[in-house]
Amino acid sequence: MIPAVDLVTILLMALATYATRVGGYVLLRDRTLGPRAEAVMKAAPGCVLLAVIAPYFVAPRLADLIALGVTILAAARLPMLAVVVTAVASAGLLRHALG
Amino acid sequence: MVPCMETRCTRTRNEAAPRLRSEVARGIVGALPVLAAVIAYGLVLGAQAVQKGLHFLEVPLMTGSNYAGGSEFAAIGLWASPPPVLLIVGITFLINSRHLLMGAVLTPFIRHLPRWKALSVLFFMSDESWALGYADTLRRAGTGQRPPFSLGFYVGCAGVIYLGWLGSTTLGAAIGPHLGDVEAYGFDMAFPAVFLVIVAGMWKGYVAALPWLVSLAVAVLIFLLVPGAWFVVAGTAAGLGTAYCRAKPR
Repeated sequence: MIPAVDLVTILLMALATYATRVGGYVLLRDRTLGPRAEAVMKAAPGCVLLAVIAPYFVAPRLADLIALGVTILAAARLPMLAVVVTAVASAGLLRHALG
Repeated sequence: MVPCMETRCTRTRNEAAPRLRSEVARGIVGALPVLAAVIAYGLVLGAQAVQKGLHFLEVPLMTGSNYAGGSEFAAIGLWASPPPVLLIVGITFLINSRHLLMGAVLTPFIRHLPRWKALSVLFFMSDESWALGYADTLRRAGTGQRPPFSLGFYVGCAGVIYLGWLGSTTLGAAIGPHLGDVEAYGFDMAFPAVFLVIVAGMWKGYVAALPWLVSLAVAVLIFLLVPGAWFVVAGTAAGLGTAYCRAKPR
């Protein structure tokens, strides 16, 4: 039997998360942006993507740092699938080799 | 770089249907490289959740309705019997506050959709589906395709990622105790790999990328100095501040 307080927690989590998902749309749907706001919006995707993966850049394991370097080099040249294969393979191999 | 903000679909229904199907298929294929990372994380999350005392059925309930991995890892880390409701909900909102910005970035491209479709698109907006959908939108805008945001592509890639997450977290909850160390195999590296490819696709030199590099540097710093998920908010804010200061007000 699932406790009611668990269900309430999960429901409120879902509501909080959905609020973050629709918030930007609800606020900006009927607006056009000025040049500054537009510059900010154009920079936003790269900022979010790199901030989210920041922990990988200071991973405690040497193997992970080397694998990240390999992945960056691959990402600059290769298509998505090749980069993902390179990343997973290099991380797996280096972790086994270096511990 | 994004010339067509005005996007009314002018295609007729007859030619739209097969094109929609091929767009969904393109989205499914586009999501496959990310799926390895999603499934690896999902297995780990599901396994951790049942070890923390969540009921088996609570796992798909959470991952299917909340559907935001970072906040679910945090919630499970904080889980107890009974769970600290307000703390978990507050942390969930903070960790997912980046969605506010992601939704704002997507808004010009989904404004033309009927409201229920736009709100559905946003429900399925994860880091991965947003990144793939936005990269595809830029690509289509660059080649003059209209509308730049392909709903079919998004349905395909977001659907696969959603099902992958729901399925793998449920499976993780079911086989949790028998699962070895999934991270040892390197699947988790697929996650930064996908994001780096998308950043590389948007790359226009170091000068243009300055806000991104500031975001990364500040995020790394805050990650090292402050516990919790503040590094995402802090890094992004610093990057956006850089972009704001550099842009000329008219």
